[in-house]
Amino acid sequence: MSEKQYDAIIIGGGHNGLICASILSKKNKKVLICEARETCGGMANQEIINYVPSIPNSVSQSIGGLNLKYNSKGTIALSESGKHIRLIGNLHLDHATISKFSTQDADRYLQFHDKMSQFSKTLGKFMMDSPPRIMNNSLSDYAKLLKLGLNVRMLGKKKFNEFARMIGLNIADELEDNFESTLLQGLIAHDSVLGSNLGPRSPGSLINLLYRMAIHGNSLFGGIYEMDGGSESLISALIEKCKKSNVEIKTSAFVKNCIVEDDKAIGVELHNGEKIFAKTVISNTDPRSTYFSLLGAQNLDTDVKRRIKHHRSKGRVAKLTLKLNKMPEFNDCDEIDLNSRMVISPSIDYIEENFNPSKFDKLSSEPVLEMCMKKDEAGAPFLDIQVQYAPYKAHGGWENIKNDYINSIIKIISKYSSNIESCIDSKAFITPDDIEQDYHISGGHWHHGEIQIDQLFMLRPIPGAAQYKTHLDGLYMCGAGTHPGGGMHGISGKNAAKVVLGDL
Amino acid sequence: MNTDLRFSALKRTPFHSRTSLASRTNKWYTWNGFTVPTEYSTLELEYTAARNGTSVMDLTPMGKYEITGDDAHSFVDYLVTRDLSEMKDNTVAYIIWCNEDGKVIDDGTVFKYSSKKFMLCCAVKIYNWLNDSAEGFNVNIADVTDTIAALSLQGPTSCSTLKNYGANDLENLAPFEMKEFSINGYQVLISRTGFTGDLGYELWTDPQNAETAWDSIFEAGKHLKIRPFGMHALEMTRIEAGFIQTNTDFMAAEDALRPIRMRSPYEIGMGWLVHFKKKKYFIGKKALKYEKENSTTERCLVGLDIDGDKPAHGSVIYNAKKQDIGIVTAAMWSPTMKRNIALASLKRPYGIKIKENIFAEIYHPEEIEYRKIWAKCKVVKRQFYSPERRNKVPADLYE
Repeated sequence: MSEKQYDAIIIGGGHNGLICASILSKKNKKVLICEARETCGGMANQEIINYVPSIPNSVSQSIGGLNLKYNSKGTIALSESGKHIRLIGNLHLDHATISKFSTQDADRYLQFHDKMSQFSKTLGKFMMDSPPRIMNNSLSDYAKLLKLGLNVRMLGKKKFNEFARMIGLNIADELEDNFESTLLQGLIAHDSVLGSNLGPRSPGSLINLLYRMAIHGNSLFGGIYEMDGGSESLISALIEKCKKSNVEIKTSAFVKNCIVEDDKAIGVELHNGEKIFAKTVISNTDPRSTYFSLLGAQNLDTDVKRRIKHHRSKGRVAKLTLKLNKMPEFNDCDEIDLNSRMVISPSIDYIEENFNPSKFDKLSSEPVLEMCMKKDEAGAPFLDIQVQYAPYKAHGGWENIKNDYINSIIKIISKYSSNIESCIDSKAFITPDDIEQDYHISGGHWHHGEIQIDQLFMLRPIPGAAQYKTHLDGLYMCGAGTHPGGGMHGISGKNAAKVVLGDL
Repeated sequence: MNTDLRFSALKRTPFHSRTSLASRTNKWYTWNGFTVPTEYSTLELEYTAARNGTSVMDLTPMGKYEITGDDAHSFVDYLVTRDLSEMKDNTVAYIIWCNEDGKVIDDGTVFKYSSKKFMLCCAVKIYNWLNDSAEGFNVNIADVTDTIAALSLQGPTSCSTLKNYGANDLENLAPFEMKEFSINGYQVLISRTGFTGDLGYELWTDPQNAETAWDSIFEAGKHLKIRPFGMHALEMTRIEAGFIQTNTDFMAAEDALRPIRMRSPYEIGMGWLVHFKKKKYFIGKKALKYEKENSTTERCLVGLDIDGDKPAHGSVIYNAKKQDIGIVTAAMWSPTMKRNIALASLKRPYGIKIKENIFAEIYHPEEIEYRKIWAKCKVVKRQFYSPERRNKVPADLYE
């Protein structure tokens, strides 16, 4: 065994890994981060992410405070007719905006928002803490589960019934019951299914929206930010914290597998053959890679293998970046509009029709788009576009169909911007396959796994592996694949650190 | 014979033409989708053949799986609780395998041809289990149940019968060894294995040789008290030998509806097959280690020697005729040993630390009435019957 031994090796220097490292090192633990890429940060960069929620206070306090600047972003749902809907998260102003289209929708919007936000708060309380572990029969775990049940019941009988009705519901039904404006329906439906493998008519798409609200300040269109300097600024702040507390960071250090001795993880082996030993190993990569690559299928029980195989983690979002030579004009949009989160999702049916071919790993000719106008360091504009639904391992192979797909995206945008085509300098396109390849996330899923009822809370990532522990003693998980999951809030990293500290 | 499966609800084994001819009682049962006899003539005669001559049983319906590939050896070692890392070529091992909770799924035997080829035999179908378990191993798993015809020859004259049949030098085959023979122009694999606790062999060959092999074997053993043997007689011999039967003595973990009915190896007397010294992980290791280290084992499977001569079928077992402590899973009057024996699943510490004052409540049927008997039980070794000839090398031969 090598003389140098760490208290913890963290595999993957994404934001969760950095937060976890920082907390551990503040408690005088000797921590090493092994990052496969040349730089830390994982998917928390402009290449992948446009908009972020704010880091929760509990997380930033646990690492001694973060000084980040957020710019609040409004949302504009583009309409071909030019009758865009602009929402900013302020309920009074949003009510006034919607009233211009429909007074009924405006009033219903307030009720809808109030109900959803109450439910998301209830779930949110549960999200900050580590989830109960259902397979070890401990009393405190049952107590936690009971508390969630109690919290929901405390909403009152009527709301409790409503919650029970909505938990498995599809968002389309709920929106159609409430609103007459198809554009408003399309916009909310878009946010419900963004980053997931669901269409608006898929059961469970509503809980996806609740989940999103819980991490965006329990608001539908508030709590959406762009970070000054992009999410890279969060990463550099975290690296700073880590360095201050003597965390060692090793980049270009691609971990091949865990070293297992006496059924316990005792270190890692890198692809270059180097072996590093530690009391604990914490994986910030996705559950499938953690189990099948790091832990190794040969060290797993059959039932666990089955559960990991069932784990759904196929990404459905691609990213198109258009470098522009001048600012494009969008129909009936001013500069503030262009600076907002621009969504092309005109109706529920539009999304659903777009979702249909993705079930067969095929592409739709009219994708749903979430756009973000940015400027690079030289001040040149570029348009960053999240494209949904772009299937992982698309039928026909991405290399063959990519160009047609990019053209169809641009064609969609030109319906709203007459001069976009003449503004384009260059294009860059990242598919879920690319994310898998470049970021070592199997499936290339934003959240390392679907955020759906069977993969949430104590079921995230799989039953028996909740609470940041894997099936191998000494191996933990701190990534987005664990509770409460993705969304750039760092709660997973923080909660994992707490569990590891308890065991160290 | 009409072999079109559309006209028969059950599959027929390659020995069917011979077994149906031998059947005097028309008593059949279904085993893994095949129809095979429960009894050919009378239970007593068949049982007696197994203990005094040669009994022949059609084993074809038994689940048979071929495991091949570079990782075949490490896969088999990972699959079962027993340490097979040192297993030699051309040997057979008795094994059990568990699920992630350390509860037994089934028992069986594994045959090693080479480090890249194994055959696993067990009573039930486990193809999916094997396939799902194989993730991460470079192995190929094939269900060969229908492509191998199998016969079991058990009893004191079984070696002589097979020697007459053409298996030269068979007497020097040690228990749990196997050897390939070329007999009458076809290949037969013979292993010294069985389910009766006596001298015995199992034969494995291509189905096209089945009928001629059956005929030659019965010809070879006609002066050695050879007799076809059904499931009921097997049940008697296996109880005497103390062998366990899945879903009779315990519920298979995959079949049990109630989680509390699942049994760990320690609860069915199979603790000796769990080897933590194995360097690598095996399925259920974590849970079994926990059970062992924390002594959370709740039950045990013991042999009972019961007073009187009335078999204790399904009897409830009591401590001091008051407290219910378990149940009989298999019982019989043993004609060979003249003892009233049973296997019973008891709640610990009964059967392990407390062996006194144990009673069976027997309801003995007497012509549409019953007589209730309180019979005193003695906890004994489960292996009631184990003659010296069972493991003797060279094996006993008879003229």
